[in-house]
Amino acid sequence: MREEFPILQREINGYPLVYFDNAATTQKPSVVIDAMNDYYSNSNANVHRAVHTLAGEATEGYESCRRELKSRFNATRAIITSGTTEAINLVAHAWGRANLVDGDAIILTEMEHHSDIVPWQMLAQEMNIELRYVPVQKDLTLDMELFEAAIKGAKLVCVVHISNVLGVCNPVERIVKIAKQNGAKVLLDAAQSAPHQDIDFGELGADFMAFSAHKMCGPTGIGALLVTDDAFNEMQPFMGGGDMIETVSIHGSTYQKNEQKFEAGTPRIAEAIGWTEALKWLNDVDIKSEHKRILDSARWLAKELRELGMTVYGRHDKNDAAVVSFLHPTMNSEDLAHLLDARGFAVRTGHHCAQPLLDRLEITGTVRVSLYFYNTHDEVVSFVDYFKEILERFA
Amino acid sequence: MTYSEELTELIEEFQEIDDKMERLEMVFDLADEVNLLPIDQWTDATRVNGCQSEAHVKVEIIDSNVRFYSGADSKLVQGLMGILTMAIDNGDANVVLTLTPDFATEMGILNSLSPSRSNGFRNMFDKVMNEIKTQM
Repeated sequence: MREEFPILQREINGYPLVYFDNAATTQKPSVVIDAMNDYYSNSNANVHRAVHTLAGEATEGYESCRRELKSRFNATRAIITSGTTEAINLVAHAWGRANLVDGDAIILTEMEHHSDIVPWQMLAQEMNIELRYVPVQKDLTLDMELFEAAIKGAKLVCVVHISNVLGVCNPVERIVKIAKQNGAKVLLDAAQSAPHQDIDFGELGADFMAFSAHKMCGPTGIGALLVTDDAFNEMQPFMGGGDMIETVSIHGSTYQKNEQKFEAGTPRIAEAIGWTEALKWLNDVDIKSEHKRILDSARWLAKELRELGMTVYGRHDKNDAAVVSFLHPTMNSEDLAHLLDARGFAVRTGHHCAQPLLDRLEITGTVRVSLYFYNTHDEVVSFVDYFKEILERFA
Repeated sequence: MTYSEELTELIEEFQEIDDKMERLEMVFDLADEVNLLPIDQWTDATRVNGCQSEAHVKVEIIDSNVRFYSGADSKLVQGLMGILTMAIDNGDANVVLTLTPDFATEMGILNSLSPSRSNGFRNMFDKVMNEIKTQM
C-alpha cells in the first residue's frame, strides 16, 4: 500500500518520513493526485449548466462523488460542503434556524471538537437556545446517565463519533436510539470515524452526518453532510447564489429541489473528483482488518509509553481509533514534537481543537500520535526507539 | 553587522552543525544561560505574545548596560532566550539596539523551528528591543 502514496517516499532532515498526524489529515494516494491533475489538464469546466463536452465531463466527475458517497455510506442525500466544519454550520443555519425556537435545548458533549461547539454557541446567542453538555467521565466515556437526563425536551443531539484527542468511540447506536425515543434529531460528527469504519448511515438512524475528505485520503477543502430525507425537507437554504437556484427574477427566486439547494456557487469540482478516487480506493481496503492491525500497534505504543513514564490518555477499545495521546511528566510537548521532527516523525501537539475536553482532563494539550492504514508496526517500533533516545538525551 | 566575540563564536558553532537534532540539543543546553526570571515574577507585562509557550522577559538598564532576565515553560524557548542573553546581556544599550534578528538566521536556528516558534523568537526580540528603547 505504501508505494501508492508518493509522499511516504520523502525524507525529512535526512530520515524517512514517519507520518503520525493522520487525525489532522491523511496523505493522498497517486490515484487521487492523478485524477485531480487529469481533471485540470483535460476536463476543466464549470458544472451543471453548459452543454459542451468539458462541462459534461466536469459535471459527471462532480456528481460521481455524490453517488460514491451515497453508495459507501448508504445515504439518500449527500450535500457536498467544504468539510466537517461547514457541514455542521450548515445544519445550524439551514436546519437549526428553521426548526428551533427560543427556549429549545441542544445536547452537546464535552468531547466535541470546537467545530461542533462554536456553531451552536453562536446559534444559542442568536436564538436563546439552551446548550446542555454531557460530561466525560474518568474512564474517558460519556456519562450516559446524565445524557438520558439531559435528553428530556431536547430537539437536537450533536455528538462526536470518535474523539480526535482520545480516539474513544462513543456508543452512537445507543445515543441515536435514546434520542429518537425522545423525539430529538441527531447530528453525528464523523470526521474521525468515517475514515476508520464502514458506517451505514441509513441503518444507524442519525439525521445528519458530517465528515471531511482529507482525513480519508481525499483532498482538502471538501467534505459532506449526509442527511435523511425527513431532515432534508426541514432545511431551508442558507447561502444564496449560483447553482442553488431554479429561477431568479427581480421579484424573487425559486430553489433547486435536490442537494444543490445547499451548494451555492461553483462547487469544488477537482476536489470532488479526487475524493471519488479516494472513496473507491478505500472500498478496496479491508477496513476491519487494517483497523485492527493499527489499533494493535496503538495499544503496544500506549503500553510502551506508559512504561517509559508517560501519561497516556486513551483506552484503545475495539472500536476506538488508533490514536495515542500522551504527556511527558516534565518535558514540554512542543519541545518533544520538535525533537521528533528532527528524525522525521510527524506528530501533533496542542489542544487539538477540543479545549472543553482538555479542561475536563485538567490538561492544556497532549502529544498525539495518530495512525492510518499505510502506517506500519515497524514505524511505531522505530518511534519508541527514538523516543527512548530523546528521553536519555533531553529528559 | 559586527557581533561580539562570544556571539560570533556561537554563530560559528551552530553553523558547523548539520544535524537538526544536535542543533536542537545545543539550543536546549543554552537554556541554562538565562538570567532566570522566576515564575512568580511572570505577569502580563512580561509575557511574550504570539508564542505558543509561556515565555516571559524583563529588561533593566543599569548604567547604560542591558540586564536581560527571562524564563519559559519550554526548554527550547528558554534555549532561544539563552542565545539572546549571550547576544545582549551586559551589552551597552546603544550597541544592543543596533542588533537585528539576522544573527539567529545566520545561526540556522530559525529554520530548525516551526513557523510559530520562529515567529515567537522574533516577537521576543522585538519586545526586548522595545523595552530597552522605552527605558533609555
